[in-house]
Amino acid sequence: MDEFQEILQDFLIESFELVEKLDEDLVELENTPEDLELLNGIFRVAHTVKGASSFLNFDVLTHLTHHMEDVLNKARHGDLIITPDIMDVVLESIDLMKALLETIRDTSADAGIDVAACVARLDKISGGDGEVDTPAVVEVAEVTPEPIVEEAAASAADDDVDYDNMTPDDLEAEIEKLLQERQDEDKAKRQAKIEAGEEVLAAPPEPIEDEPAATPTPEPTPAPVPVAPTPQVAATKEEPKAAAPAKRAPAAVEQTIRVDVKRLDHLMNLIGELVLAKNRLIKINDDVEERYEGEEFLEELNQVVSIVSLVTTDLQIAVMKTRMLPIGKVFNKFPRMIRDLSRELNKKIDLQLDGEDTELDKSIVEEIGDPLVHIIRNSCDHGIEIPEIRLAQGKNEMGTIGLKAYNEGNQIVIQIDDDGKGLDAQMLKDKSVEKGLITEKEADSMSDKEAFTLIFKPGFSTAAAVTSVSGRGVGMDVVKTNIEKLNGMIDIDSEIGVGTSMKLKIPLTLAIIQALLVGVQEEYYAIPLASVLETVRISKEEIYTVEGRSVMRLREEVLSLVHIGDIFEVERILDANEHAYVVVLGLGTSKIGLIVDTLVGQEEIVIKSLGDYLKGIEGVAGATIRGDGGVTLIVDVVALMSMARDVKSTALTDSSDSLESHEKTKASDYTIMIVDDSKTDRTIMRKALEPLGVTLVEASDGQEALNILKSGDHNFDGMLVDIEMPRMDGYTLATEIKKYNKYKNLPLIAVTSRTGKSDRMRGVESGMVEYITKPYSADYLSSVVQRNVNFKSEFL
Amino acid sequence: MSDQLKEVLNQQNKQQNSDLDQLDDVVQLVGFVIGDEEYAIPILAIQEIIKPFSWTRVPQVPAYVLGVFNLRGAVIPLIDLRAKFGLQTKKQSDETRFIVMRHGDDVAGFVIDRLTMAIRLKKGDIGPAPDTVNGDDTIIDGVGKQADKIITILKVNKLLERDF
Repeated sequence: MDEFQEILQDFLIESFELVEKLDEDLVELENTPEDLELLNGIFRVAHTVKGASSFLNFDVLTHLTHHMEDVLNKARHGDLIITPDIMDVVLESIDLMKALLETIRDTSADAGIDVAACVARLDKISGGDGEVDTPAVVEVAEVTPEPIVEEAAASAADDDVDYDNMTPDDLEAEIEKLLQERQDEDKAKRQAKIEAGEEVLAAPPEPIEDEPAATPTPEPTPAPVPVAPTPQVAATKEEPKAAAPAKRAPAAVEQTIRVDVKRLDHLMNLIGELVLAKNRLIKINDDVEERYEGEEFLEELNQVVSIVSLVTTDLQIAVMKTRMLPIGKVFNKFPRMIRDLSRELNKKIDLQLDGEDTELDKSIVEEIGDPLVHIIRNSCDHGIEIPEIRLAQGKNEMGTIGLKAYNEGNQIVIQIDDDGKGLDAQMLKDKSVEKGLITEKEADSMSDKEAFTLIFKPGFSTAAAVTSVSGRGVGMDVVKTNIEKLNGMIDIDSEIGVGTSMKLKIPLTLAIIQALLVGVQEEYYAIPLASVLETVRISKEEIYTVEGRSVMRLREEVLSLVHIGDIFEVERILDANEHAYVVVLGLGTSKIGLIVDTLVGQEEIVIKSLGDYLKGIEGVAGATIRGDGGVTLIVDVVALMSMARDVKSTALTDSSDSLESHEKTKASDYTIMIVDDSKTDRTIMRKALEPLGVTLVEASDGQEALNILKSGDHNFDGMLVDIEMPRMDGYTLATEIKKYNKYKNLPLIAVTSRTGKSDRMRGVESGMVEYITKPYSADYLSSVVQRNVNFKSEFL
Repeated sequence: MSDQLKEVLNQQNKQQNSDLDQLDDVVQLVGFVIGDEEYAIPILAIQEIIKPFSWTRVPQVPAYVLGVFNLRGAVIPLIDLRAKFGLQTKKQSDETRFIVMRHGDDVAGFVIDRLTMAIRLKKGDIGPAPDTVNGDDTIIDGVGKQADKIITILKVNKLLERDF
């Protein structure tokens, strides 16, 4: 049983790969029905699948592929020319084959799909001459140059032909024929080379498949009309064949192994750990450098650190590359789709693919397919006009849809262009207002570019009538969601009557990303850099409130703002600065400004999940470990944007509800901190204040004082601060304390031997309320303290 | 002679078996204190016990979820058991520890006030949870009786279950 499963797995993997390639080939075949190389390839697929499935006892699949094989075999031998009608049947049978394969994958059996109707149609084509155009075929077959070339090409694949079914005589004849053909072929080749002359050499070295697809075929498909083959036709056909062996050769040399994706994922995780360790190492290196400046071993350490970081980066790129797949895997299915759509919609559409070799992470390739299907369907249905209208507008009857992919920095751009009727901003607005998606006021203030993004609103459809292709108003909404899921952006450009161009910008990989680190109060957050458009520094006055929401003017636009603290429930301990930074986030087509306190910088981060226990926290995409070993949360920009809508504007407004002042009922409710590095001085102060009966807390330097204050164990009513202290002096301490909203009104009394005027000035600047110079009398100190903490006299 | 030998062997076997039985009957627990109560969890559910260090706050969670911390490269949630049990939060002291518990793939750190000791308890000395808290929802696995006190034994899988 296990062995069977193993064979089955291999069979499925192989079949799906073959079928994928098949779609593309078939569409191409329709454009060039005489291309035997292609026909042979397609025939081989059907044949292989048939052979394997009969071995595995999948009778339905065998039955179907057998009949497909019949039709293709005829075509291959020139007894049949592939017309669009025949192609429809063949394509249908391939769809069935795919469905069968999928059923087998899911259930290990091929029951449940009815192939009888399709088989009957295939039979009709292969057996009964019942279909159109067969007479013409005979004619073609009889023309001398044609069969020679065809058969010659067929000979290449003849290993696959069922010789078992031939009688010995036939076999003999076949061999005879083949030999003859081989000679003729050589002759013909030589002839063709002379005729084609330089052209063969000048032909671009790209894979041959690109050629027919890339060169638009303006003349109608030649199939239904029996074109009398002339020597020239033979010559041009010779060209692809001459190039074909050159193309096949590297494929044979190419060495690949199949690797379980799980192993790659594991490897990627390990690399992630390594990147974190690298970040940490760099940070430690910086610290060491600072501390042991000029030491000799530093240079050596530096070298090691830079080598490690270099190799780690290379390693990361290398592993990332192993996970990369060419986007061509996704693009492959579109020629077929366009073909079906254009027949269904009675439009003439040419698809031009470019940059199929552009590589993307596997997980992204899997996600990008659906959005592209929707966009291209949309372009076919709403974008490209019907031929009559196109001609009337002086455009080429054949509409063009361009699909190209290219790298741009750390992103992949997939661009979908059509030369259709374009988007009408005004119409989009009217329609949205009509459907209640936006208000009229919103519509008036919308730029054209913003109006284009309306097509992504759920429930929006510009098509007057719902067709089977589109118009139900779900598709484009899905596009936006999927692209946002990948942290991508969508950019639309359009001109009425000229066409529409849509750009999807997607990050290269998902696991390790570049992030912008921002600070709010004492916390840090990482924002995926792919979503950051720009950062701006603003002052509070630049923030306006419109209908209860904060907005700012950014050049020509009005940008709505949200404070990161409101999203993540950050407690406002520190006093807000006069200035703030706005991180402009762009996602899909929407934009928002995120107000943060500080910008820390750009860093490469590894995304880690928060685990099952904390999953699904809105606005948090995961966490990363920073160079210092701390954990930083990663902002989920998609969620943040939707959360921002519900957040009321509190941005930068001071939450000035001060602490409820505790009613003092006894002298010991008053708490005073004494900060001095000298034990003697502390004792003198303590002696002076003890008679009051207040609670006293001591700290030996600024840093310690700040820590005690932050810990919140005591509610201080006043502080006595020495100026000259190790670690943190009195001025710095005062400045630090005054940063906190909570301590704005905490009286700080400087107790110092510095008597200069400038010292006093500095004291006032840093927020001290009194300045006591040493030496002082105990009574004086006591009275100053009493005054500043509003000591109730009844406690004396 | 050989019968005698057999008998001796048999007896020895019995003894060993009963020894084994006794081993099976003993549950090893680690005891800790939260507030005034002593609790215990099976020693095998503990991945490690570490001294407290800094963590990162996570928004939109109940107050007893302090946030997440970095345990050698893994991001692990940190839960304050005092807060979870409805006690006043207390400043961390020198005795505060994080107990990292594991159940299957679920891992989380728990803040406790103080460790007591590793405890061996016979299964017979463990009573069921009080009737008032019985049911599937309780996080109390049972009550361990010791000479001078009783210890509440907690269900690790319940502790690690997300309940918000």
